[in-house]
Amino acid sequence: MFKKILFATSATNTCDHAARVAFDMAQRYNAHMDIFHVLGIPTRGYSQVVVDVTTGDEVELDDNYRDLVIEELRTYYDHQIAKTKNWSIDVAIGLPHREILRIARLMKPDIIVMGGSTRASGSYAHKKIVTGSTFQRVAKAARCPVLVINRPAASFWGGFSNVVFATDFSDAADSAFEFAFKLVKKLQCEFHLFHALDITRFQMNNFHTQDYIEDQIRKATQQLRFKYVSRLGDFKQYAMEVWEGIPFLEIVKYAREKHTDLIVMAHNTHKTEEDDASTIGSVAEQVVLRANCPVITINRSVGKQ
Amino acid sequence: MKKKILIIEDDPAVVDYLTTLFEDNGYAVYSAMSAQEGINLAQKERPDLITLDLELPDEWGPRFYRKLSSDKELKNTPVIVISGLSGNKYAVSKAVASLSKPFDRAELLKIVKENID
Repeated sequence: MFKKILFATSATNTCDHAARVAFDMAQRYNAHMDIFHVLGIPTRGYSQVVVDVTTGDEVELDDNYRDLVIEELRTYYDHQIAKTKNWSIDVAIGLPHREILRIARLMKPDIIVMGGSTRASGSYAHKKIVTGSTFQRVAKAARCPVLVINRPAASFWGGFSNVVFATDFSDAADSAFEFAFKLVKKLQCEFHLFHALDITRFQMNNFHTQDYIEDQIRKATQQLRFKYVSRLGDFKQYAMEVWEGIPFLEIVKYAREKHTDLIVMAHNTHKTEEDDASTIGSVAEQVVLRANCPVITINRSVGKQ
Repeated sequence: MKKKILIIEDDPAVVDYLTTLFEDNGYAVYSAMSAQEGINLAQKERPDLITLDLELPDEWGPRFYRKLSSDKELKNTPVIVISGLSGNKYAVSKAVASLSKPFDRAELLKIVKENID
């Protein structure tokens, strides 16, 4: 399932939670892990002077500097590398999201692991209500699932055994389902099929009746059966739930209530591939920011592999 | 009858410290170095309170708590998370408290008393 892991890191403490999960996966699933770091952004075309993404300083790039950064990465993750059998370190120069996507195309990892927000971590990220732009751009264009860990508490699980697949019944969610089901079968996990009924569109003083909401819940439960349960075959370790509320909060609440160790969901579910929106979709993005467990986001192109 | 506290912690120095602290304050103390040992001991002794480290040799604290919650007899046992990891406060959402190492013994005892005395 996870034989090749690409861990994209800024090698700062904002990626420590993601590192904990990435290294744990590499050890647990006996995977090869590539630790990938974009060390600098060129100041101008063909210039040897780059802006170091970690320090913000302008540095002249040569082999010595590159070797120094690789050595720093090795030292930074020394404790975790010591327990990992197969690993490598790669560094590159360029815009982080482009370089991550470039190496992902070459390496064809089973999954990319990254932190949710490097510059805007913690409370600042929540004020901005956005994940990091590198994550957004990678998640949007990656040809493989992207696992993201934004909160430290999301990294305290160790392996996957209890998985929530959150769906809005879109076509994009179908790709996410394929991946989630493959994962739960392979790793023999409990599988939660979850839909959050969006009741936020109602106007103040114009709420739907409880009968209407419960009819919608019943309809969504039927849809879960029709779209997904019918494809589970002999797999019996599953549960279905539909909760009404604000979708991203319901997903996070459900995962917390069931003590799940992974959420799988699609993003940009209602946008076409041609849409050039830079965000990954507000529901997925908010789940990534708030979840107490790792979140795997999947875009349409993954299902077409 | 003495109230029972189960310490789940893999650092022997911390186990010793907590054991002495709780025994000196009149509690019966049990300790486990791993999550599995902790579950077994919890099922056997039915502790009144559990202190839980997050990073255990065989499993992480939240996964231990999930197992604890699935046991009808144990699911309401108060748990205090004691860990040196950042973000430990949010790791077990139903924990009665979370303390960072090094912790204040008076604060820990106050939380214990509030929950089981």
